[in-house]
Amino acid sequence: MAPSAEELLRRNTVGINKETVSNVASTDFPGHFPGEDHAFSIERFRSAFSVQFHRNELNDASFSLIGIDASLANAFRRILIAEIPTLAIEDVYIENNTSVIQDEVLAHRLGLIPFNGGRDGIHNFLKWYKKPEAGEDPYANSFDWNTVRLELNVTCTVNPDAAPNENDPLKAYNHAHVYAKDIVFVPTGRQVEYFSGDNAIVPVNPDILIAKLRPKQTINLAMHMHKGIGADHSKFSPVATASYRLLPLIHITKPIIGPDAEKFQRCFPQGVIGLEKVTREEASKSGSGYEGHAGEFKAVVKDSMKDTVSREALRHPEFEGKVKLGRRRDHFIFSIESTGQWDSDELFLEAVKHLKLKCKKLEQQVINMVQ
Amino acid sequence: MPGRTKAQADASSQDADMQDVPPSGQDEINQDAEMRENAEAEEEEEEEVEPQRVRILPGSTDTAASFEFTDEGHTLGNALRYVIMKNPDVEFCAYSIPHPSEPKMNIRIQTYDGTAVNALKKGLSDLQDVCDVVAEEFWTKRQQFNSEQGIDR
Amino acid sequence: MPREEYQVPTAGAGASAGGMTRGATGGERHESRSVMTYICGDCGGNVTLSKDALVACPHCAGRVLYKERTKRMVQFEAR
Repeated sequence: MAPSAEELLRRNTVGINKETVSNVASTDFPGHFPGEDHAFSIERFRSAFSVQFHRNELNDASFSLIGIDASLANAFRRILIAEIPTLAIEDVYIENNTSVIQDEVLAHRLGLIPFNGGRDGIHNFLKWYKKPEAGEDPYANSFDWNTVRLELNVTCTVNPDAAPNENDPLKAYNHAHVYAKDIVFVPTGRQVEYFSGDNAIVPVNPDILIAKLRPKQTINLAMHMHKGIGADHSKFSPVATASYRLLPLIHITKPIIGPDAEKFQRCFPQGVIGLEKVTREEASKSGSGYEGHAGEFKAVVKDSMKDTVSREALRHPEFEGKVKLGRRRDHFIFSIESTGQWDSDELFLEAVKHLKLKCKKLEQQVINMVQ
Repeated sequence: MPGRTKAQADASSQDADMQDVPPSGQDEINQDAEMRENAEAEEEEEEEVEPQRVRILPGSTDTAASFEFTDEGHTLGNALRYVIMKNPDVEFCAYSIPHPSEPKMNIRIQTYDGTAVNALKKGLSDLQDVCDVVAEEFWTKRQQFNSEQGIDR
Repeated sequence: MPREEYQVPTAGAGASAGGMTRGATGGERHESRSVMTYICGDCGGNVTLSKDALVACPHCAGRVLYKERTKRMVQFEAR
C-alpha cells in the first residue's frame, strides 16, 4: 500500500506558519504508518538519493543532498567542521618581540592563519604529532613527518628615500606592517621532497596583517606546525563555514493577481517570484479564480531555492489563505567554504570517508566487546 | 587523497564521451580499494594503542541493552540512532550524552526480535553502506558538473 | 629577614649585609649588574645607566626609560 504523491509531499514538508513551525519530525520508520514498509534497504536508499551541484569552486562549493535524513546530513556537516585534520601553527618560540602586540596575542594570531602546501605531503606524508609528557624532552616527538618549522623575522626601519614629512607609515618606514607573506617556511629532512617549489608551505592569504611596527621594533620568532582537528581548536577546522539549509517551498494555493501580485513579489528576495500574464484560456475557465483577469499579471513561483523564508508574505492580510510556506525535509542545500588546505568538494568526500571509517572501527569494537 | 583526486578526474574525463559506460565504474573500485587500504593501514598502526571504546552497561539483557561509546558524540549518536530505528526488529532506539563534560555517548536499543548487539552491528554496517552510496553519487555528480562547467580539476 | 633590616646591596657591603657569604665572585657579579641598559621612550636609543646615574637619556634627554626585554626565548601555544 503505497501512499499517494500528495501524501508523500505532505510528509516531506516542514510547515512554516505565521508564528509556528509544524510537522518537524521525520516519520520514515517501520511501524509508523500501518502497512507501509520503511525498513532500511540500501537499494531503496540508493534509488531515492541524489546530489545536485550548484557551485564548485576551490574555496566555495554548494550542492544539494536529496533523499537523506537530517541525522545523516548533520553528521557530515559536523565531521566537516570538527573532525577533518589540517595543519596549523601550534607552538610559537619567541626570541624577541618589541612590537606593541603582546607575545601571547601574537602567538594566538599566528595560530589562526590558514596555510596551504603540497597536498600529498600534507595529507599523506605528515602524521599526527604526540605531545611529549611533562618532564620529557620537549622536542622528543618532533620529526620531519609531524612538525613543520616556520620562521618570522621582521625589523622595522626608517625609509631613507621617503619624503621628509611623509605621514603614511607604510611609505615612511620599511616593514611597518607584518603580513602573513613574511612568514618563511624552513623545510627539514624529507620535507624537501614534498614541499618544494609550488608545493611549499605558504599562507593561503598572503595579505593577512599580523602586527604593525615602528622603527627599531622587531619580531623574531620560530613556529612549529602540527596536525590537529577542529574539535581540539577551531584553527584546525578545514572550513570557514560548512552549513546546510532545507529547500524552501512556496505553494500559491489561490491566484494572486494584479497589484497584489507585484506586492507579493516584493515580499520575497529577487528572482523567487515571477510575474506572468493571465492567459485568455485561464480567464475563460470558471472556478479557476482568473475569471475576467485576462492580460493582468499573476504571481508564479520561479525559483524557491533563492528564498530566505522570511515569512514576510504571511504578514499581509491580502495573501491570507493564498500561500503556504514550507521546507523540504529531505533536501539539504549544503554550502562548504574551505579555508584552503583542502578543496571544498574534496572535503565533503573526506567527511563521508571519515564517517565510514568511524563506523568500521566501531563495528570491530562491538565484535571485540561481545567476545 | 589529492593524488587520487587527480587520477579520478583524468579517468572520468576520458569516460565522459562514452555515454553507456557508468562514469565512475572504474573509479569506484579504485576508491573502495584505496579506502580499504587506508583503513587497514590505520588500523594496523593503531591496533596496539586503540583501547576498547564500546561497552555494554550493567542491567542489559539480550533484547534490551544500553551501550556506552567513549569519545563519540552527537555526530555518530544521532546518525546511528536513525539507522537503527529503521530496523524493523527494533522496538526502541535512542541516544544520549549523559554529561556534556564527559566524552561519552550512550545508545539504548530494545528489540522485538534478535539481540540488541546484532541491531547495533547492523546499524553500523548499514551506515557504512550509506556512506558508500553517498560518496559514489557525490563523485559522479561532481564529475558531471565539472565537465559541464568546464572546471578542470 | 624583617623588612626593616633590609639593606640595598652594594659592591662593598655585600658580605656584611645579613651575613650572606657568597665568596669573591659575588662582588664581581654585582659590579656587572650595576650597569644596566635601558631603552629610551622618546628616541628609542639604548641608554646605559650605572647605579647612581641620573635617569635621563643622554641623546635626547628623555626621562622615560624602559627595561629591556628578556634575551631568553619564550615559548607560547598558539591557542
